[in-house]
Amino acid sequence: MSGGTVDRARAMAAPLGRPALAAAAFVVLAAVFFAVIGRNPLAMIGVVLEAAAGDSYAIGESLVRATPILLCALATALPARVGLISVGAEGQFYAGAIAGTGTVLSMLPTPGWTMLPLMLVTGALGGMVWSLVAGLLRTGLQVNETISTLLTNYVAALLVTWLVYGPWKNPASQGWPATVEFPAAARLPALFDSRVHAGLLIGIALAVVLHLVLTRTRWGLVLDVLRSNPRAGLVAGLDFRRNALIVMALGGALAGLAGIAETASIQGRLQSDIAGGAGFSGFLVAWLARNHCLRIIPLSLLVGALLASGDGLQMFAQVPSSVTLVIQGLLFVAVLLVNGWLDRKRPA
Amino acid sequence: MHLQLRSMARRFGANLAVDGVDLDVAGGEVLALLGENGAGKSTLMKLLYGVHRPDAGQITIDGRATRIDSPRDAMASGIGMVFQQFSVIPALTVRENLALAHASTPWFTGRGARRATAGLAPLAAIAPEVPMDARVSSLSVGQMQLVELAKALQQDPRLLILDEPTAVLGDDEVRRLWSLIRGFATRGLAVVLITHKLADVTACADRVAVMRRGRVVATGAARDLDANDLLRTMVGERDLAAPSTAPLPADAPTRVWIRDLSARGPGNRIDGVDLRIARGEVLGIAGVSGHGQDVLADACAGVLSPDAGEVIVDGETLFAPRQREPRAGRVAYIPEQPIRNAVAPDLSLALNLHLDRLDTLPAIPDRRRLEADARALLTRFDVRPADPGMAAGRLSGGNLQKLVAARELRGAPALVVASHPTMGLDLAASAFLYHQLFALAQAGSAVLWISEDLDDLLRHAHRIAVLHRGRIAGVVPADQRHRQTIGAWMTGHADAEAA
Repeated sequence: MSGGTVDRARAMAAPLGRPALAAAAFVVLAAVFFAVIGRNPLAMIGVVLEAAAGDSYAIGESLVRATPILLCALATALPARVGLISVGAEGQFYAGAIAGTGTVLSMLPTPGWTMLPLMLVTGALGGMVWSLVAGLLRTGLQVNETISTLLTNYVAALLVTWLVYGPWKNPASQGWPATVEFPAAARLPALFDSRVHAGLLIGIALAVVLHLVLTRTRWGLVLDVLRSNPRAGLVAGLDFRRNALIVMALGGALAGLAGIAETASIQGRLQSDIAGGAGFSGFLVAWLARNHCLRIIPLSLLVGALLASGDGLQMFAQVPSSVTLVIQGLLFVAVLLVNGWLDRKRPA
Repeated sequence: MHLQLRSMARRFGANLAVDGVDLDVAGGEVLALLGENGAGKSTLMKLLYGVHRPDAGQITIDGRATRIDSPRDAMASGIGMVFQQFSVIPALTVRENLALAHASTPWFTGRGARRATAGLAPLAAIAPEVPMDARVSSLSVGQMQLVELAKALQQDPRLLILDEPTAVLGDDEVRRLWSLIRGFATRGLAVVLITHKLADVTACADRVAVMRRGRVVATGAARDLDANDLLRTMVGERDLAAPSTAPLPADAPTRVWIRDLSARGPGNRIDGVDLRIARGEVLGIAGVSGHGQDVLADACAGVLSPDAGEVIVDGETLFAPRQREPRAGRVAYIPEQPIRNAVAPDLSLALNLHLDRLDTLPAIPDRRRLEADARALLTRFDVRPADPGMAAGRLSGGNLQKLVAARELRGAPALVVASHPTMGLDLAASAFLYHQLFALAQAGSAVLWISEDLDDLLRHAHRIAVLHRGRIAGVVPADQRHRQTIGAWMTGHADAEAA
């Protein structure tokens, strides 16, 4: 393609913006995919839209799915502000669920009003401690944080499995591996008569606060310098280790909060696989948003809606719900394509 | 070969980088292309080498009009070029680098390059002492450049272009390069030597072409030209009074004491360095690169924690093992390679100018005030463009150096550590930077100035200490009479002083 065509296309694309272009590419890719599996693309896209946002129930389910993704995306974006690539939101999610569940179980059978705040705080602390393992390995021993967070994810997930099959198993649940049901005192308040809970509002508020802190404060500038050039940060007397540990800890707390909120308010008990990939979806959302906290909000809602539409696809279109994972993958491919195309260097 | 360039022109945006240049080069002669940073020397030669395409103009080689669209075309026409930015691969050995660059090496060579024998002859001819199986990353800058030169010679060019080859070299290395260049000319090669140093011209050029603002403003035989005339032609009508240091009073009190300092850096160390710098003194550190200069600079600026010893400023220990006081305002540091060591490339100029004093900003900094501060500094230090919101990484090398100088030299620091502060700067910018540096000294700062340019050190410093293998080989007053002694210390002949 000649440079002129690219320039013209770029000029045309500018007012539409990247999101519109990415959305268009996504619809095309999804249509091709549906055609390949022998379905009418238009009808299927209609089903996806219907299942994601067709009525108040569908919208509610989309928001339910979006909530943990939003918090996990923030948990990924924070370490990225000093250049750390953490894929540990999933494990921190589980660690938060474990710590918070421990608090709830220890306060049974006489739950009081203190249960909810204590549960949330210990949940956040659980995620924080889990994240700090990777943080300390990185700052103390130069262990690559991407690998260590990835591996500790498995440890946390298996720890949950062990707990719900063993010490924390509800004796009344027969074969079903799960803890006892949480009391109502451990639930976050629900919004608009749906399963959506206050965790969504907490997540949105945190995203806005984090955005302001990262872009307006001195500390945000310090993080920017450390990300841009750690060596220049060192020469300027900035402390990489301390700041790396702070963002890892805060990120872990956010994912831990997501974990305990999901456990207490949606599932109502701790059980295996409770994260359901929210940590990884969060990582992808953070990446799509280029670690920009405000952009994370709509993208989480979009990805949450896509995932929620999987149930609808299964019910109304008789396709396996795993199709939504393919669709999620296509979304990322679409964004990659559009970004790659728009960002590619002009020929010299 | 006889090369003719006619009416060459190239525009970058609003900037006419090369503006209608005519130039001739003949086989067997060395043409020095002289000019300041941004005069268009490199751009002109990149047009010839096919890196950029000219907007207008004609290239004629041996009477035939030649179209050069890529470096490949240039090589096919017998033109070789050594760029300022090296293209050797540090992780590979010298042999592998040469083999991979050689035209006869097939693309599927892979690790076979370890045993290759093709393409080694040019390096063996110009620098037999460079070890073929050493990794390029372990070579000195001078040796890397020789490898780079050998790569260009593999194509057996008839015209060789060298872009600022002496900018990164020490005294001995420069002399050797000069004699190599003379040798090429004797063998009939045409050589274009891009430079902004007059010494290069007098040492090895037959003819000079001076460029200013994209035009060739003067040409002539090298031996006929007067150095002062050349300088004036290069910089135009601007004032170029040579910067100078004020004489140091004999009773100037010690301001900075680097006491018995030992430290280790990556692949480098200093061992028991003990230096006192008086109030107002400029102490030059000479030495062949790689003998601990970077470690000394980092340790004196508190970036590297020493193993032993201390840095005492105004009677107070600032840096020692397990002790590090904030340096902001007291110790100014211009490290080598600013893009790597002193600048956050994707952040704004305004932020980069506050990098050393972020902790003194209010918790929620006022961006407009930062930018206003920055704009004043950018103007004062002539950083171009003076746009506080622009990302620092988009500045040219010389302007980056000015940006770091603007940040570090603005206050009244007790100690200034400057490591190759004028590297990459042209004459006018260097003169300006020296003015700033020496004005600080005159106002009472102690200056530790690391350089490989012995002429500059001798001209401007009060005393010169020589660093050899991490130790101070000796300290003498900066005086031409000590040149021999300094040279001997630099190469490790400690006892030459008696001679």
